[in-house]
Amino acid sequence: MKKGLIITLPKWDNVTEYLSHFSWQILSAAEENNIPYKKLEETEASKKSFEKTINKLNYSFIVFNGHGSPNSIKGHKDEVIIEAGNNGYLINDRIVYARACEAGAVLGRIFKENTSRGCFIGYEFPFVFWADKTWDSVPLKDETAKKFLEPSNMVAISLLKGHTAEEAHQNGIMHMKKNFKKEILRGTKDSFQIAEALWNNFTGQVLFGNSQAVI
Amino acid sequence: MRDNYEYDEKSEVAEKMKELVLARIDAQTTSNLRLFIGSHKGMTKEEIMAHVRRGDEIGKNIIRMHINFMKAVVSGEVTDVVKSI
Repeated sequence: MKKGLIITLPKWDNVTEYLSHFSWQILSAAEENNIPYKKLEETEASKKSFEKTINKLNYSFIVFNGHGSPNSIKGHKDEVIIEAGNNGYLINDRIVYARACEAGAVLGRIFKENTSRGCFIGYEFPFVFWADKTWDSVPLKDETAKKFLEPSNMVAISLLKGHTAEEAHQNGIMHMKKNFKKEILRGTKDSFQIAEALWNNFTGQVLFGNSQAVI
Repeated sequence: MRDNYEYDEKSEVAEKMKELVLARIDAQTTSNLRLFIGSHKGMTKEEIMAHVRRGDEIGKNIIRMHINFMKAVVSGEVTDVVKSI
């Protein structure tokens, strides 16, 4: 296995547009740390392209952006890219961060604590975020969505900087907690709705497998 | 008889919870915000409230999120997190 990152960037609805746009920080971190990466953008975020890429490059770190279910993660136009019991074995022994709903519930459990070299960081509950519709066409200017997506980027960024999976997991949670505290103290009309959604994400973030894994 | 009584009591509590969640959403959500949850394209306040009223999968997730947070407020977990950062 080679040190490197494969990242899926589907862009076909508002959720995937937001997730993919905010992933620029992850790609910058890969460049800054001289980690080679391969983007699977839009139509390339498909099962066929993913399987071809992972078999060819054999990179150690995978970031999935997209919709999910307890046992699968989807790509462009909701095509299932990876699924427990089907091609889930492809991610065994790698480090996986899945910014996708609920994928931690079943798929993440492929990674057993003592028998896997790799690990899975994801969400047991649906990953949720609020966004401001004013910025639909320019997601990166959306300060509301930023409160959710920037701290979740920290999981991947920490791994790219050489931290262990456990450190990256905790770092992501800590950044979400910081934004949570800011919201509670801000005390505007929508603060509690935003804080509550952040609470959902950091209490639902899970790590399975080898917590000491590094990319 | 007792089973029916317990069932009625449970459904009454569930209804009260739903009302509480609806009141919180109504009072705390500004019109410019949209919520992204699951594969839904993004919901306005009115759409969120409609899901909660229907009690569909999205509505159940929203209720779960609210109840978990309210429990955390009551148990002191929220205060602990705020103090720890």
